[in-house]
Order: sequence, then C-alpha cells, then structure tokens
Amino acid sequence: MTLWHIAWNYLWNRKLTTGLTILSVALGVGLITAVLILRDETERRFVEEGQAFDIAVGAEGSTQQLVLSTVYFIGQPAGNIPYEIYEQLQKDEDVERAFPIGLGDSFRGFRLVGTSADMLQYDWVNRITGEPRNTFRLVEDGNGRYFEKPFEAVLGSAVAQQTGLQVGDTFVSTHGLMDLEGAEAHEDMPYTVVGILRPSGTPNDRAVFCDLASIWHAHEHEYGTASLTGADTSTEADVDEHAAEEGDEHAGEHHEHAEGEAHAEEHHEHHDREVTSVLLVLKSPGLRFQFMPRVAEKYPDVIAAIPVDEIQKLYRDLLGTARQVLLAIGYLVVVISSISILIGLYLSIVQRKRDLAIMRALGAAAGEIFGAVLIEAFWVTLLGIGAGWFVGTGLTYGLGAYLSERYGFSITAFRPSPDMVSAYSAVLLMGMVAGIVPAWQAYRTDIARDLSDV
Amino acid sequence: MVKIKDCRRRLGPGVDFYCESFDAPAGVQMALWGPSGCGKSTMLNLISGLLRADSGIIEVDGVETQKLRNGQLDRFRGERFGFVFQTFNLLGPFTAIQNVMLGMRFSDTRPHHEWKPRAKELLERVGLGNRMHSKPATLSVGERQRVAIARALANNQKIVVADEPTGSLDPKTAHSVMDLLLELCGEEKMTLLLVTHDAGIASRLPERFDCTGLAREVES
Repeated sequence: MTLWHIAWNYLWNRKLTTGLTILSVALGVGLITAVLILRDETERRFVEEGQAFDIAVGAEGSTQQLVLSTVYFIGQPAGNIPYEIYEQLQKDEDVERAFPIGLGDSFRGFRLVGTSADMLQYDWVNRITGEPRNTFRLVEDGNGRYFEKPFEAVLGSAVAQQTGLQVGDTFVSTHGLMDLEGAEAHEDMPYTVVGILRPSGTPNDRAVFCDLASIWHAHEHEYGTASLTGADTSTEADVDEHAAEEGDEHAGEHHEHAEGEAHAEEHHEHHDREVTSVLLVLKSPGLRFQFMPRVAEKYPDVIAAIPVDEIQKLYRDLLGTARQVLLAIGYLVVVISSISILIGLYLSIVQRKRDLAIMRALGAAAGEIFGAVLIEAFWVTLLGIGAGWFVGTGLTYGLGAYLSERYGFSITAFRPSPDMVSAYSAVLLMGMVAGIVPAWQAYRTDIARDLSDV
Repeated sequence: MVKIKDCRRRLGPGVDFYCESFDAPAGVQMALWGPSGCGKSTMLNLISGLLRADSGIIEVDGVETQKLRNGQLDRFRGERFGFVFQTFNLLGPFTAIQNVMLGMRFSDTRPHHEWKPRAKELLERVGLGNRMHSKPATLSVGERQRVAIARALANNQKIVVADEPTGSLDPKTAHSVMDLLLELCGEEKMTLLLVTHDAGIASRLPERFDCTGLAREVES
C-alpha cells in the first residue's frame, strides 16, 4: 500500500468533488489542446499545400489575395492577366512546369477551376519530404478519367458527395465564385462529369476542374468576351478554337446570346485571352527568390508571390494573434482550474484532519502526509490533462470537420507536438503548485488536538 | 518500559500538566484513571509522543523521547506504540484489512509481503474473518473497535495505549472488547496503558495509576 494508493483511495472516496475538479482542469486543457492541434495541423496542411507550387503569378493587388484565391480557392482574385504571360513563363528555362488557372464561374458554390489537364496528371510530390502527393487521384471505380476537352469536368470529392453528381451526369455553371441567388447560369453550356477525385484533404476536394477553354468559352458565349470576370476587356471577341473544331453549335448561337454581338463574329487570338493566375513549379525550390523579382521586372502589371511564404506571413500576422488570445484563454482556464484544485484539496484536508492525525499516530512522517496530498493534486491534474486531451481532440475533430467542409482542409493527425508537451507540463506544474498549500496544511497537523476533536 | 520524571506541559492559559514520577514496567497492564479533565489523556499523549513535554524526562523502552527529532519521533511512535481510541479512528476510505495494513505501512516494521497475512490473522483472531473487506461505515461499533484493536497489535508493538476504548460501546460490547484487549495484550506480552474514568473498567486491570490532579491551575 503506497502513498499513491492511499491518495487514490481518498480521491475515489469523494468521487463527485474529484470529478468536478478534474472536469474544470479538462476544460482548460481541452481548449489549449484544441488550439495547439488546430494551429499545428492547419499550418502544416496549408504549408504543405503552399509548397506544391513555387511561384504564383497574377494580377496586381495583394499577394496574399492572389495565393489564397488561386492556390487555396479562398476569396476573390484581384483580377486577371493575359494568357500570353502563361505561354512565356512556360518557356522560361527555370520553369519545370507552368499551370494556368482560370476562375470566374462556380457550381452550387463550388468554384470551377479552369486549367490544363496537365495539372491533374502531373506527378505531384511533397516538396519537403519528396513523398508522392495524391491530390488528383481519381476514384478507383474504373469509370472516371481526367477531362480531355472543354465542358468536361472532374469533381473534387466533396463536390461529388454534396451534389450527388456522378460520372456521366451534366450540370450548368453560374457566373461568379459565390452561390448567389439570381446568379446568371450558363444554361447553354452544360458540363459533363467525366471523373471524380478521391478525398485528399486539400482544397481540391471542393473544386471542379475543367479545361481552361471551358471557362473562356462560357464567358464568350454569355458576354462576348473571354474575360473571366465577364467584363469586356478585349477589343476583339474571342471564338474558341475548340468550339470551332467541334463545329460548335454554341458558336453559332453567339449572336443570340452575347451582349456584345458585334464582337461575336470576330476571331481573336490566345493572346487576348486571360487567366486568373499562373502557378509555377520551378526546377528547384531554391530558385524561388531569384525568379520572383524577374517576373516583376518583366511584367510590370503583374505580381508574383511564393505561396508558402504568403501563408506563413498570414499565420504570423493574423492567426498568430488569434492563437495567442486563444492560448491565453486556455491558460486562464487552467489557472482557474488550479485554484479549484487548491480549494477542493484544502477543504478536503480540513474535513479529514482527523484522518491525517490518525496516520501520524500510526507512524506516518509529516513529510509522507505532505507527499500524499501532493500526489492527490498530481492525480487530479493528470486525470484532468488526460480528459482534457479527449476534450481537445473531440473539439478539434468537430472544428476539423467544419474546416474540411468550408475550406477542404481535413485535420487527421492528433500527434503530440513539443508545444503540447510543454503546455501539459506547465499545467501539471500548476496543479502541483496548487497542491502545496493544502499539503502544507496537512504537514502541520497537530496530532493530539486533531485526534481529540470529536 | 515507561518512565516519567518531573514532566511539565502547558495545556492552556493558567493550566499546566505536571507529573512528578511514573513507572510502568514491561508487560504491565495498567489503568490510568481519574475524573474527566484530570490529565490522564494528556499523560497518554506525552508517553506516546503525540505531545511533547515542555520539560522533564519521558523514557520509553530506554529512549528519552524528548531528545528525538520530529521525524524520528514519528517513526519511534509507529514502531513502539499501538493505539486504540474511544472513537475507533479507522480510516473511512479503507476496508478493515486495509486499515490494519496501514498500521504496518507507516511503521515500516515488517516487510511488505507480511502485511496481508498478518492483517488476516489478526482480523480472524478478533472474530472479523468474514468482514475483512468491509469499510468502517458498514461495521457495527463493536466491530470497528475490534478492527482498531487488530490494527494496534499489527506490528507486535511493545506498548498498546488505549484511550477510553469502551467509551462509545454498550456495556455488553464494552465487556467483550475489554476481554479481547486484555487477552491479546497478555498473549503478545505487550504493555497496556489504558485510560478510563470508569472505576469498574479500571478494576479489571492488575495495575492502576491515579491521574487525579495531574492537570492543575497555576498562576500564569
């Protein structure tokens, strides 16, 4: 029968009080755990995603806006840039691969990402670990494939799940990136689903991928311009070459639907078309910093950003403060919990002064009594931390589901981080410190007086 | 076994305990008796080291206890003394057998593996072989006092001090508890110092020490 056993028996003897004290510790620890897991996991996932591309090139504006809108598919892009920039960047000797990104339309709130099929077929690897990244893997039912021509679409897993669309189904996109009531639908330009992606826990889950030409074509058809925003930015109307090849009936309808009918019959070249951004994979990530200023020099109205830098800046500037506030709240709750440990133990010591005196009479040294009470504080705090971990991971699971739903980022790893170990150690220390006052009270037991108090 | 000489202890404003001389040889069964407030419990507390004397000599088993440091005194008490109290003083969260084992745990006089067999043996001897795993709250008062007696004997202590051990019991139970205490202390050849205000109980012990006047008013 050790002091640990004795301490445990006393805690078990007052289950309700012990349980409530453990709960109060668990709430604080849970909050701290959730904040730390969310911070580490979201940062890890965002950075991992950001690392996929070395450089993002887009219209003048905020670099963070550019990265968020075209890499993470969050928020609105600042504008568009000429297609020819993509063509030129593609030929740059430092560029391993360039992918055009065209945004402007959506389907039930999921944005259509016009790009080249090359982006889906590329052998993506984690630029940090070198491991393959299966962000564009098709569902293995043998039915799906990547798009090969305009108006073929590949759905992200969340899109397929939430819309119920399957391979072979068709849908109509609407103009704009939000699911707004009354948004103009491109009724005459239906897309056919040709493939569905496996869940990847990335923003791809919430996107619809199609050929860039689809976006242009839909916009030409509706607005008589290949401008992705629908604004007539070109002087010549653009007739899609794919449509021409297919003897496209839509092209024939141009006169009826397009706003700028005068432009409709005119042919215009690729260089009049636009892309929202160009995402680059360089031959080496080490080229990022020398490549970026070169873009700014060469293309005056264009900005370039390193996605991973932007996301880390965002974390530092914005989420860093939020994290500090949440962590401070978590620690405050733990301090309050420590006080409740102190009060709970102190009251329990007052109630069992006689028991302590009996133990002393039986030969227990004052130091042993001090130790036994401190062990009680240790048990309560340790169990609080254990319960807090469950509360925290449960909370994270819930928030993770929301993040996955909202931003396509799934949080699956609940591994302990060094920060978490430090936080738990700090909580344990606080709990032990809270146990010192009651332990000292127990240490100072006046045996004869306490035994005679009936 | 126990000697006291010129022992003084301040009990409160204007009240002192003073014992000029006391001697209890080894193996004696002695009643410390007298009216309430006469100082008999204080004397027992001084002998067992629950209280320290302000002056004088208390010698137990050849050791002058006032010379021991606090930790040494705790250990000495656990090794030499077994306690039986009026209100039993069992520890509520623990079962009967655990209460007896706790006596051994704190005194550290027996190896760990002997605790359980010794506790079982004692509980069987006091007639509680079938209540070993019951908690004090579920035992009758007589049973509780039997557990307390078993605990007091657990370490083969040289001295058992009993402070009004039958004070909370009905006459019939009190009688049987006294029989048990006297029998076991006799068998184990332990010195028994028993505090009582009851002359009837005191008369059952072969030796008596009248404590009347040990606690007295003095000019402060």
